[in-house]
Amino acid sequence: MFNGFSHSVMGASHEKTNLVCQDSSAFKVEDHYAIAVVADGHGSKKHFRSHLGSKFAVEAAIEAIDRYYEDREALEANLPDNYKLILKNIEKQIISNWNVRIEKHLAENPVTEEEKSKFTKEEFEAILPESYYGSTLVVAVAGENYTFGVQIGDGSLVAIFEDGKAVMPMEYNEAAPANVTASVCNSNAAGMFSSFYAPNKRLIALYGSTDGLYTSFGSEYDFLDYHTIITSQLVNLETFKTVIKNNLSKRSHFGTEDDISLACIYDEAFLNEKLDLINQRVAENKKAAAERKTAALSKQVEVE
Amino acid sequence: MSNERFTEPEVNENENITPSDELNNNVSVSSAPETDDSILDFDDDPLSATSVSKKSLVVFFLIDTSGSMKGKKMGELNTVMEELIPEIRRVGEADTDVKVAVLTFSTEVRWMYANPIPIEDFEWARLRASGVTSMGAAFKELNHRMSRNSFLNSPSLSFAPVIFLMTDGYPSDDYKEGLRELQTNSWYKFGLKAALGIGQEANDNILAEFTGSKDTVVHAYSGGQLAQMIKIIAVTSAQIGSKSMTLSDDTGQELGEENVFAAKQKLLGQQIQELVNTTGDGDDVPFDTGW
Repeated sequence: MFNGFSHSVMGASHEKTNLVCQDSSAFKVEDHYAIAVVADGHGSKKHFRSHLGSKFAVEAAIEAIDRYYEDREALEANLPDNYKLILKNIEKQIISNWNVRIEKHLAENPVTEEEKSKFTKEEFEAILPESYYGSTLVVAVAGENYTFGVQIGDGSLVAIFEDGKAVMPMEYNEAAPANVTASVCNSNAAGMFSSFYAPNKRLIALYGSTDGLYTSFGSEYDFLDYHTIITSQLVNLETFKTVIKNNLSKRSHFGTEDDISLACIYDEAFLNEKLDLINQRVAENKKAAAERKTAALSKQVEVE
Repeated sequence: MSNERFTEPEVNENENITPSDELNNNVSVSSAPETDDSILDFDDDPLSATSVSKKSLVVFFLIDTSGSMKGKKMGELNTVMEELIPEIRRVGEADTDVKVAVLTFSTEVRWMYANPIPIEDFEWARLRASGVTSMGAAFKELNHRMSRNSFLNSPSLSFAPVIFLMTDGYPSDDYKEGLRELQTNSWYKFGLKAALGIGQEANDNILAEFTGSKDTVVHAYSGGQLAQMIKIIAVTSAQIGSKSMTLSDDTGQELGEENVFAAKQKLLGQQIQELVNTTGDGDDVPFDTGW
């Protein structure tokens, strides 16, 4: 039985400039699968509707995944041998769903004079309409003994499988150009996704987050340990939700001031079974962090 | 069963006292809370085990520890660096995580610590001088480490680094080859570079090749000057390096990264020259006449 949570906080820098939060997040749990999604609308001027673009990206992803699960048996029978093709098709479907949403929104809400006023006529004409809504997207899906995910643009996906270790399973798409922020609004968006598929592994918890979370950490170890600590607290989710929300606000406020979103899905029964292991991992991680710090502070030069 | 929730940014001043009902609704749309400092201060947060990182600035010191630095030069440098750490600590206090990395070069090149160290944990190791001046090897080592895969691997966002070179002599290896390699490094290109020549033998032209401009090269001929110059350069460059500059030209257009870098490097040159010109000659004996 899956459960989950999702939360988005507005970055301190956006508060200062009276912008809206450009992140969106959601999760969905069903009897046999669960989805966690986050999206980060681009911040720059030409993406002036990206707060809507990120919301549409989240909706588009859930719609696409749900559609594949309409025939769950066929999907699960085909995934082991054809996961690459299936993931490609899911990515295409997400982009298609997103485009339907933004076209509809734009038709119903044409660009206003106020929105145009930030640009010269030439500048405005050079912007493709889909760019108004540009966003990243991270989608994490858990089945009963397999997990998969797709991602376009920045963001992170962290999984904790049955061994209790937090890992980042995404296999990054080397074809996506490093100097271009991949986005659902790119003309070749469907070709810019990264993805992963992890078969035959029981999942404890799966997380998607926008890059505001990652950049609030000083090391990748800390980032992964953070997810293990959250997992250790999920048994009291209702109480812990407030702590998570406060912590995300704190991370945005005192960190890089960016919007932050975190979405999580987890297997409640399996987590209960593995709770001792997770608590053990939390303790091990704490010890390893202390050892790293001690090692980092040892001098390596000849001294007087 | 089906349970779906969308979390849009919440705007909720009573974040702590309004329990979310996300688990009770099929679809819930919420928006981001306004950050209120009072809600950010709580002790019972198990998540506080992993600290929050601000935007970081790494200050690289490249220090000549060849035999010619032995004696008063090395002694003075050790003392001033020990005094300097608390001053740099103050630069970063507000909203930047300042880290320090020290590369020493003589016959061998060696880092003081295996990684850049947060300034609040940094402790100066009093250096010893011996051997020759492998400046080219130091440039190569710096190029190797100044990378997202090595010293600059922190997930948090970074300012372009500060790179501060101190030497008292002519390189004993092919510094030009090392510098050519270093010049291909983007962190070097966009980093704030300054150099200090110590005593008569240091060649300001070589130092200007390293920094890219004569304005950011200064010279110390005595112990007093050495202390003044190190402090001026290190503190000024750390201050400028950790400044968020959103530049705009007369037309109000945002300027790109290269312009920000050029403006910062120019500002560093101007400030160093101003401070150097208003600083006295020092009352002490020159290094090369009896120190």
